[in-house]
Amino acid sequence: MNNFDNRKFVITFLILLIGSVFIFRLAYMQLIDDQWKLRAAEISENKLVTYPARGIVYDRNDKILIDNQVFYNLLVIPRETEGVDSVEFAKLLNIPIEDYTTRMNKARKYSKRKSSIFEKQISPKDYTQIGPELYKYPGFIEEERTLRTYPKPIGAQMLGYMNEVNKSDIQKDGYYKSGDYIGRSGIEKEYESVLRGKRGVRYILQNAIGVFTGSFENGKFDTVAIQGKNIQLGIDAELQAYGERLMQNKIGCIVAIEPSSGEILSLVTSPTYDPNLLVGRNLGNNYMDLYKDSLKPLFNRASMSTYPPGSTFKLMMALIGLQEGVVTSNSSFPCTKSLVGCHNHPTAQTISDGVKMSCNPYFYHLTKKIIQQNKSPNGYIDAGIGLDIWQDYVQSFGMGKTLPTDLNGVSRGLIPGKSYYDRIYGEHRWMFSTIFSISIGQGEVLVNPIEMANLAAIMANRGYYYPPHFIKNIENDTIASIFQKKHKTKVDAENFSYVVDGMYRVVNEAGGTARRARLDSIAICGKTGTAQNPHGEDHSIFIAFAPKDDPKIAISVYIENAGFGGTWAAPIASLMIEKYLTNAISPSSIKREKRILEANLILGK
Amino acid sequence: MRRKYAILGDVDWVLIGLYLILVSLGLSNIYAAVYDVEHPMIFSLSTEYGKQFMWIGISLFFGLSILLLDGSFIKKNAYWVYGFTMLLLLLVLFTSPINGARSWFGIGSVGIQPSEFAKIGISLALAKYIAEMGSQFKEFKSKFRIGLILGIPSILVLLQPDAGTFIIFVSFVLVLYREGLSGNIILFGIVAVIVAVITLIVADNTFFIPFTKIKVTGKFGIFLFITLLGLVSIFMVKNYVIPRNRKSLYRVIIGGFLISIVFVNFVEVGYTNILQSHQKERIDLLLGKIVDPDGKGYNINRSKAAIGSGGFMGNGFMQAKLANANQRHVPMQSTDFIFCTWSEERGFLGASLLIGLYIGLMMKIITVAERQRSRFTRIYAYCVLGIFFFHMLINIGMAIGLAPVIGIPLPFFSYGGSSMMSFTVLLFTLIKLDAERKNVLQ
Repeated sequence: MNNFDNRKFVITFLILLIGSVFIFRLAYMQLIDDQWKLRAAEISENKLVTYPARGIVYDRNDKILIDNQVFYNLLVIPRETEGVDSVEFAKLLNIPIEDYTTRMNKARKYSKRKSSIFEKQISPKDYTQIGPELYKYPGFIEEERTLRTYPKPIGAQMLGYMNEVNKSDIQKDGYYKSGDYIGRSGIEKEYESVLRGKRGVRYILQNAIGVFTGSFENGKFDTVAIQGKNIQLGIDAELQAYGERLMQNKIGCIVAIEPSSGEILSLVTSPTYDPNLLVGRNLGNNYMDLYKDSLKPLFNRASMSTYPPGSTFKLMMALIGLQEGVVTSNSSFPCTKSLVGCHNHPTAQTISDGVKMSCNPYFYHLTKKIIQQNKSPNGYIDAGIGLDIWQDYVQSFGMGKTLPTDLNGVSRGLIPGKSYYDRIYGEHRWMFSTIFSISIGQGEVLVNPIEMANLAAIMANRGYYYPPHFIKNIENDTIASIFQKKHKTKVDAENFSYVVDGMYRVVNEAGGTARRARLDSIAICGKTGTAQNPHGEDHSIFIAFAPKDDPKIAISVYIENAGFGGTWAAPIASLMIEKYLTNAISPSSIKREKRILEANLILGK
Repeated sequence: MRRKYAILGDVDWVLIGLYLILVSLGLSNIYAAVYDVEHPMIFSLSTEYGKQFMWIGISLFFGLSILLLDGSFIKKNAYWVYGFTMLLLLLVLFTSPINGARSWFGIGSVGIQPSEFAKIGISLALAKYIAEMGSQFKEFKSKFRIGLILGIPSILVLLQPDAGTFIIFVSFVLVLYREGLSGNIILFGIVAVIVAVITLIVADNTFFIPFTKIKVTGKFGIFLFITLLGLVSIFMVKNYVIPRNRKSLYRVIIGGFLISIVFVNFVEVGYTNILQSHQKERIDLLLGKIVDPDGKGYNINRSKAAIGSGGFMGNGFMQAKLANANQRHVPMQSTDFIFCTWSEERGFLGASLLIGLYIGLMMKIITVAERQRSRFTRIYAYCVLGIFFFHMLINIGMAIGLAPVIGIPLPFFSYGGSSMMSFTVLLFTLIKLDAERKNVLQ
């Protein structure tokens, strides 16, 4: 009839093509790709979720630092609440009836079929009254969850707190679901993935009228809840508590480290707060109160602040001078007060004397020899070369570079090099006389209290350190290898003996700057620091380790605006050392302890 | 010359058989999809399956009545049917809108959707016109009139607005193709779809023209590509084609270039400015530009989850977890998304069987069409084929995420009186016309 009869084949082909595309697509969706089956189970919400208990955190002596407590959430399925006496129910929960209505509307808006939270975090005590009555109110279901609790109110900032996940947490990590809790700071944040465990899900089948008919796909998609791992920290809870007591009414921090391992024994920051405040229903309000507090208790001074190190810095100057060969252990320098101010003391005959008496001009001369080594005839160029050598040494002590630690938000100190001063003064426009303050730990130099404690640990070890860290053990797991790596300084061990000798004399010899730290039974080696600062009275600083031979503890104490280092920081360090090593305070130290506990050094702040 | 014959004598029993199978499977499926515990009887009129049962009865009554008519009577009155359905399409525009569209005549508690019946009118009119115009497809006058027959209902349904039915009307292009419209039209259509999809994908993007700092929207990228393609083609023609063929090829290239530019612009402007936001969303969802399983992508995500969870054997009759009457996780699961309940309960086996049944029905219609001596019957058969094909293509394609969400029924399966009646009448008219094929001498 016409020439287009063949076109029926094109049309037939087209139909068969679409038919096969559909069948292939169906085969893929129904037979191969499991995601839709899982999605179906998710949608029908026929799943039972089991929440794992979060890992417990222990101190080095197996005392519990962070524990779990049970509480109850009340969930509601709006569709099933027909006939509930809302007035009675509101009375049972002790909430106004208007609240009942608004919460129900919110739940309905979310979903009529799915459960959503009606009342959060009911304590077990309150729940004993609600639980038995619940059967009268269809559509309301209990859900058991756990919250953190702190048996001792210590270590708030380093242990951190938890709160509910927000949108960006959920986006970042698909594990979290709305209503979950996440570690926000400190240990809780750092070890979130270890502590949280993994929730388990069981998908179940229901038929059209909601009757349970078995497990979905024979449990193919079910997962078992995995409990969070317990962890042990190097923290000594008693020492921590004692440190926090000593620091009452003072602003500052204490960091104590075990030199042989780098484990942090205590990390005290003051003022502090009871970590139990940031748990449960009042978290938000309490957090705001702490946030607004002018003394900033949320701020972890021990890890997040940087301070001028003052005279404690002289220890490194002495070591570098010896290592570079620009001085010997018997070098003597006059106390030239016209160069830099000093107190009255006999002339330092040796490097040990210099440390003992903390003579400022002595270290001016000494550091000048490090910086100006006459490697170039031009004094400006020479200072640049010398300063870079100096910076290299100081950084080998773990300063000015971020220490590899398991504490989030650690700030690092500032150890200036040539390029730093070139930026300030211009290249070849400065020499030692411009920057001499660094020799006594003032000027541009800034260090972090953990770095300072680490310096004490290096002195104790005579030349090396392990990165300061909290973690000691993880249940069924190993701790990160970076914490077991020994870092050597660029100064040889034999050079340490002269400086350590000086540190011993600081505490134990007449004319030393920290006689107040002396103990009869324990050989403490220390170094005071008194840092001028623009905020008022000098900062009182002390770093120490003990015993002199076979050291067990290295410590740094920093008290803001408290005056001379030997007056406040030194006795606090001494008490901490005594407490840690003898587990008690001897009668001879009681007076010292009383004086510290009664001192209020934040008056007027 | 006319032969007397028994009413059901030459009726094609395969078509009737396929029809009855599809209708009964469809009814059982609606029963499962909207099962009401309080009204378990299938003819309980307060339920959708009860009503559907009634609609099937009425449809069968109409279908059998058509078998009693005379084939020539149908052909003679083709334009009248067309005119009547167009009048209904016009009048429906004066009703008050339901869900934002003026598509329904309410008669008591039931609604009638004239756009469903318009398909019958158009099919008959188109068949009659083309059958009688001889083979002068090239004349402008005949092209214009065919354009008119298709254009009037298209405009009327777009005014409702009802984009779904409009897309069904596009299926008549298939008929025109079979009857001799240039074959390039199909090729042209495929290329146009590809270009349109690419345009839509890049429409919202911006990029820098290479080596410059000028930021432009995605369509300029396509322009750049088309221009390069044009230049390369001209280069090829210049070097590899004998001179006397060059001129016409240049014309094709330049024409193609201009049309492409206009077309891309049209698609882009249409997408960004003319489409309503929900339509734009549906396209974005299909192209994967939006992923929002619980919000904008709710329908399609639930639909796919229901189908995918069917597995090989399915969950069994009345055992759907998602597309069941109680949970109703799938929206519109008795009408637009009826394929979900079926696929979830009957699994891959049932779903392929259903597609097989539709393919079988369509293959049978092609066979029936090709054995006609009457051009009218053949063209009409292809119209029916195109309508069924597009309904299946879009409805199932939508449910399995291969087509955008467009609410049109699945023939004989979706709940709805108008569509059930119109599909039945369409098919039985074909059966009737086919039964009389031996009477036609042409």
